[in-house]
Amino acid sequence: MIQLNDIVVRFGDFEALHKINVHVREGEFFTFLGPSGCGKTTTLRTITGFIEPASGTVMMKNEDITHVPIEKRNIGIVFQSYALFPTMTVRDNIAFGLKIKKLKKAEIEEKVRTIAKKVDLRDDQLVKAVSQLSGGQQQRVAIARALVTEPAIICMDEPLSNLDAKLRVQLRNELKKMQRDFGITTIYVTHDQEEALTLSDHIAVFNKGNIEQIGTPNEVYNFSKTEFVANFIGDINRLEEEMVSGLKLDPAEHHFIRLERVRVNRPEEGEEYRVRGVIESREYYGLYIKYYIRAAGQTVKVIEKNDGISIYEPGEQVTVGIHPSDIMSYPGGN
Amino acid sequence: MQATMKRGGKVNASLLYKIFGGVLFLYLFLGFMVVPCLNTLTSIFTTKDAAGRMDPLAVIRFFFAGNMPSFVLNSLRLAVVLVITVNVVGISIVLLTEYFDIRGAKILRLGYMTTLIYSGVALVTGYQFLYDKDGMLTTWLLQLFPNMDRQWFSGYSAVVFTMTFACTSNHALFLRNAIRGIDYNTVEAARNMGAKPFKVLFRVVMPTLLPTLFSLTVMTFITGLCAMSAPTLLGYNSINPEIVRLAGSTTADESFPQARAALLSIILALFTMILLTTLNHYERKGHYLSVSKTKARLVKQKIQNPAANVLAHIYAYVLFIIYMTPVAMIVIFSFQNWQAIKGKAMDFSGWTLINYFGAQDYSYTTSRGKTKLRPDAISGVFANEKTLGGIRLSFILSALAAALACVIVVVAVNYIFKHRNKKRAALVEGCLLFPWLLPTILICYSYRVFFNQNIWYVFGNNLYYRENVQFLIIMAYTVVKLPFALRMVKAAFYAIDDELEDAARNLGASPVVTFLRVKLPIVLPSVLAVFALNFNALFTEYDMSATFHSSYGTSYAMVIQSMCNEEGRDGMNMNASGRRCASTVFIMLVSGLILYLVYGVGARDLGERLARKEKRKKLWARITGKAGRNSEKTETA
Repeated sequence: MIQLNDIVVRFGDFEALHKINVHVREGEFFTFLGPSGCGKTTTLRTITGFIEPASGTVMMKNEDITHVPIEKRNIGIVFQSYALFPTMTVRDNIAFGLKIKKLKKAEIEEKVRTIAKKVDLRDDQLVKAVSQLSGGQQQRVAIARALVTEPAIICMDEPLSNLDAKLRVQLRNELKKMQRDFGITTIYVTHDQEEALTLSDHIAVFNKGNIEQIGTPNEVYNFSKTEFVANFIGDINRLEEEMVSGLKLDPAEHHFIRLERVRVNRPEEGEEYRVRGVIESREYYGLYIKYYIRAAGQTVKVIEKNDGISIYEPGEQVTVGIHPSDIMSYPGGN
Repeated sequence: MQATMKRGGKVNASLLYKIFGGVLFLYLFLGFMVVPCLNTLTSIFTTKDAAGRMDPLAVIRFFFAGNMPSFVLNSLRLAVVLVITVNVVGISIVLLTEYFDIRGAKILRLGYMTTLIYSGVALVTGYQFLYDKDGMLTTWLLQLFPNMDRQWFSGYSAVVFTMTFACTSNHALFLRNAIRGIDYNTVEAARNMGAKPFKVLFRVVMPTLLPTLFSLTVMTFITGLCAMSAPTLLGYNSINPEIVRLAGSTTADESFPQARAALLSIILALFTMILLTTLNHYERKGHYLSVSKTKARLVKQKIQNPAANVLAHIYAYVLFIIYMTPVAMIVIFSFQNWQAIKGKAMDFSGWTLINYFGAQDYSYTTSRGKTKLRPDAISGVFANEKTLGGIRLSFILSALAAALACVIVVVAVNYIFKHRNKKRAALVEGCLLFPWLLPTILICYSYRVFFNQNIWYVFGNNLYYRENVQFLIIMAYTVVKLPFALRMVKAAFYAIDDELEDAARNLGASPVVTFLRVKLPIVLPSVLAVFALNFNALFTEYDMSATFHSSYGTSYAMVIQSMCNEEGRDGMNMNASGRRCASTVFIMLVSGLILYLVYGVGARDLGERLARKEKRKKLWARITGKAGRNSEKTETA
């Protein structure tokens, strides 16, 4: 569907993207994930045409669109700020692109009505000013406006970042449902790894203008290709000297284990490395509890389901078990 | 870095636009700013002595030998004193209405803001009406204090008094905005740490207002330096009235008046340049912007000390009386007959509408005992062709100039934002700010002298000749108002989110459509506000009218001035003062209405407008619904 080949973007002397290669398939939900300033929005803006790359090509349906003007690309966008026109009503916002295309009035009315229904906007909301809507409703207007012109792809630039935590989760689910219903290819930019993991079919993890890994949520989480990806996605323990030697791992490499893979007070399993530890402190999250355990000369973070069984008090002695197959290792460096 | 359009036709068209725009801009900038002003500058050094030889330093020698420095010193003295008095009064009125909890603050604010609709020559003549040697208040005060100096309201002190209260409009607008922008949480934090209200005021609130205060101080200083209507009408020898006097003088009357006028305006320009460079430098150093993301609205502070509270209330209301008395008197006397006005005493049986509508004859006895009749010697604003003509001319010229300034600035700012961080944007901005460096009087004087000859680049016309002067006035009005318009409109453009433009382009809108349909509607309220402020200021402005004064360019300010001079002479113009009051009231109404429309109605966003519409609809439905039910009832009955 869309393909980026060796894309390089420069701003003056600064190279923002170094030979980026991405392939997004038709109908999939593809996420660009990374910390701020990593190049994910720049990549998105290159796809939409706001930025022209210094080299490389953007292909859509096997056609080179690298130099096609923004308005001719047929790519919809939902902006971080939603970029709803404050001087227009909801209806005028949604109809803007159709009016530019000089569609007939009746046709515009019909299309606006249909899309509004799909994104759950009522008729009385259509005559309102965008400032009169809630954050969630505004987001739906932004999506409707982007979809009404029937683009081949829809790009979303951190569309949930302006919302409060609860609404974010709620809208995340709605977004996924809408994408599934519309079946539209979606490229999604976020720095929130939870968002990326729950929404995406594929994730590209960006770092300093490079893509570190492209894979399914499970691949990036459980089989992180680089140390950066392992650290950026989810919480993780780095194993220190004593554990590394106890597990007979290569001391020249860096070794990590996810919190939920560390086993506390469980029966021994296979060739597990076991060590005694003391609960240092705990953080209560409701759904689960995070323990800080002092073991083998380091602090190990562990999470346990809050099921009333594995509850430990600070100072309590526990056994920590680590399975070698759960360890992710990366070449050491500085 | 944006994708360039490579469609042949479009490129050519946009290139043509660019060339046309660039040439037009250069033509206007060079032709109506640089060349006339350079002409003034060079005229200083091209004076000829009695033998006809060029003597470049003659004016400079004359400057040091004659009384010219006294005009400069007088202006400086006025400017320095005004900086103190205007700031004291300006800060007071804003703190009293916005920061401290003073009873009746809303009414006080209206009173303090009257200078927005009542300014310039109308205000000065209004003050004269009250305070000059046989003014109403002076007469009244003399009854209380018989030893008082009848002439107290003239010269320097009168100018300071008048301008102190007349020049607080900027404080009322900008300082008010600044104080309303303060994050109340910072005040609460200071109070929480034990600071008393006045300590909070001086240590937390005032420092955040400093940038605004600094700008206001510079503006006030320049206003003082360039003062025109007050010194002219009240008799104070400062630079500007002298320039206008010299501009109208000839070599037959005195030595090289034109060159002297030029020198004085250059001196004024130098002062202005130094001040504005300081201001610019200071502004560039950065602002104390609020870093807070969740600003809390300022809650008015109660003055806890009872004595201080009473004193503050007394102070507030004394200021209110000073502001309101001239306005109230003008309104009252606009409905009084000429006898009452002449006697400067209200006559409860002398109410009339003659100052507004209609005309009356006036009969009087000559020194030879004959009775003479002057037909229509008493006439209202709307019946007196001369007054109405002045108002009409000022209205048209000001509206055109204010609109032209807005159009130029909006197009330019759009260009500046599109090419920001590029040299051409800075260049365009610099050109538009250029008139700010030059005092109004220098521009007008330069126009008057330079365009009073056939100039090739305006198609060989003399722009000071006959009706042409009206075009010259429009150009001068526009040029003078460009810098203010630029600063305000630029601030409005900052409010446009870049993503809006991206969104419009993504949805297929061309740059022109994006500008007209998305960006312009967003900045329109600010643009209209700039239009209104400029229009109001130009409508009653005095400096330029006085410089361009000719029978084809008699603006409202000039009509007012001449009305006063001719009043009652040979039985003509008997009710000139009454008509002046009436015209002032009319203009206050027009200005007030414009400000209300722009700030009150125009400042509402779409949401507020729709909400109000909904409310009106419901109200209407309720009324008609009730009416419907009532009619049903009557029918069934």
